[in-house]
Amino acid sequence: MDLVVTYGLNFAYSTATLGLIVLGLAVVFGLLGVMNMAHGEFVMLGAYSALMVQQAGLPFVLAIPLAVIVCGALGWLMEWSVIRHLYRRPFDTFLATWGIAILMRKGVEVSFGREYQSVDQSLPGTVSLMGIDYPAYRLVLMAVIVTMFALLFVWYQRSNTGARIKAMVQNPDLAAAVGINTARLSRATFVTGVAIAGLAGVLLAPLVRVEPYMGLDYLLSSFFILVVGGLGTLEGLIIGSSIIGGADVVISAIFDKTAGYLGVLAISILFLWLRPDGIFSRR
Amino acid sequence: MKAAPLLSIDNLTGGYGEIVIVTDLSLALSQGQALCVTGRNGVGKSTLARLVTGSLMPASGQVVFLGEDLTFAPAHGRARQGMGYAPQEGVVFDTLSVAENLTLHHRDRSLERYKELFAMFPRLPDRLGQRAGTLSGGEKKILSFCRALAEDTKLVILDEPTEGVQPENIALMAEAINRAKDAGRGFLIIEQNLSLVEAVADQAALMDHGECIYTHSGTINLRAELAERLKI
Repeated sequence: MDLVVTYGLNFAYSTATLGLIVLGLAVVFGLLGVMNMAHGEFVMLGAYSALMVQQAGLPFVLAIPLAVIVCGALGWLMEWSVIRHLYRRPFDTFLATWGIAILMRKGVEVSFGREYQSVDQSLPGTVSLMGIDYPAYRLVLMAVIVTMFALLFVWYQRSNTGARIKAMVQNPDLAAAVGINTARLSRATFVTGVAIAGLAGVLLAPLVRVEPYMGLDYLLSSFFILVVGGLGTLEGLIIGSSIIGGADVVISAIFDKTAGYLGVLAISILFLWLRPDGIFSRR
Repeated sequence: MKAAPLLSIDNLTGGYGEIVIVTDLSLALSQGQALCVTGRNGVGKSTLARLVTGSLMPASGQVVFLGEDLTFAPAHGRARQGMGYAPQEGVVFDTLSVAENLTLHHRDRSLERYKELFAMFPRLPDRLGQRAGTLSGGEKKILSFCRALAEDTKLVILDEPTEGVQPENIALMAEAINRAKDAGRGFLIIEQNLSLVEAVADQAALMDHGECIYTHSGTINLRAELAERLKI
């Protein structure tokens, strides 16, 4: 029974964290069609924000505004200087953002060094749950992620801005014709996406190794999830995270971590082959 | 002294990239008047509407609205300056509800501004919660028409507003346009339905191969003259 609960919680944790990681990319790629290859680097910047706050001896929670501001400002600059010229040109966006990702990795490497660093657990200890002791930070993180998703979902479905984003995504010409500043809305959407990626980096920082190349793994996981779940829907994102996260947890538990990676890769290839639009797709 | 035109299109040339569709076209429209642009399919009428509304940028020429040169202004800027637009295709946001289609560009979600139009087209308020994509083609056109007409704009540009719309509703559209004209609003209407043209036009222009080949002022013999030339 304990083993089932442990695996269940690990599955929920894996799904929730993957959902958090992919959320920013889902906003940028799913809504704007921008294949942001620098997505993982924004997660990495978020993690480094947590590290900087720790090194300055400040409370962990201050890393959240720092990451949102740093990633938001960098995202704004990136959209203004590069991305806005490349909308509806996916291959050019792919190359440009890959170049930016390299710059970001190298910039962090020069500033902080290449070695692994770690962020202290801000909420150490365990909580007894259904007969097992489970890390408190993981449980809090899951609750925060679920709340964040719920709030974002309600905002996107109910707010006028959400309706404007949907309108812009579906018919940009008509959206502009009714007076919506699509250029500004695209920029705000992009900035929101990368700021969410930064936030994910902060929240995951105490649980992972912080290093300049950590974003590459997150980028791959994010694309696998979007391939499986489909673009443009929250349901797709959650299902995609569950399948990828679940497969990784189960296969890694039975065999090892490498087998987990291979399993996830095989699932993604199968989806690309048999169901290229994913399980849920707006398109 | 003659009042400045509401909209002045001077020697406008443009199209899609290298492909020029509209060539050296000039037209003017005064407040409280309707200028109907007609012609066969594929002669550049909708491209003209897109050049005027900013969906496309012209290669040369000028678009002056309320005395201001808006030739290269972005589409949303023109809308905010008072230029309403109901396009020919992609007329509604399919995944949004009818109510969202009518209100998303406003700060408030009040449907009060649609009260008069809802009375004319009562099927619309019955479907406020329905996804706009599930409406019939004619209903989508009516939704788009109402959205454009209810705006507080000086100029309304309608591109084939009657396409797929039932005759009784076309008559109601004409009535709504004439009421708005009486309130001083101007209309640039791209239309092949000569019944609507005859019912609302103060001037008409006939296009062929991207050029304006005939203009007609007033309503006398309007339909006959246009019909005769459209047969060519």
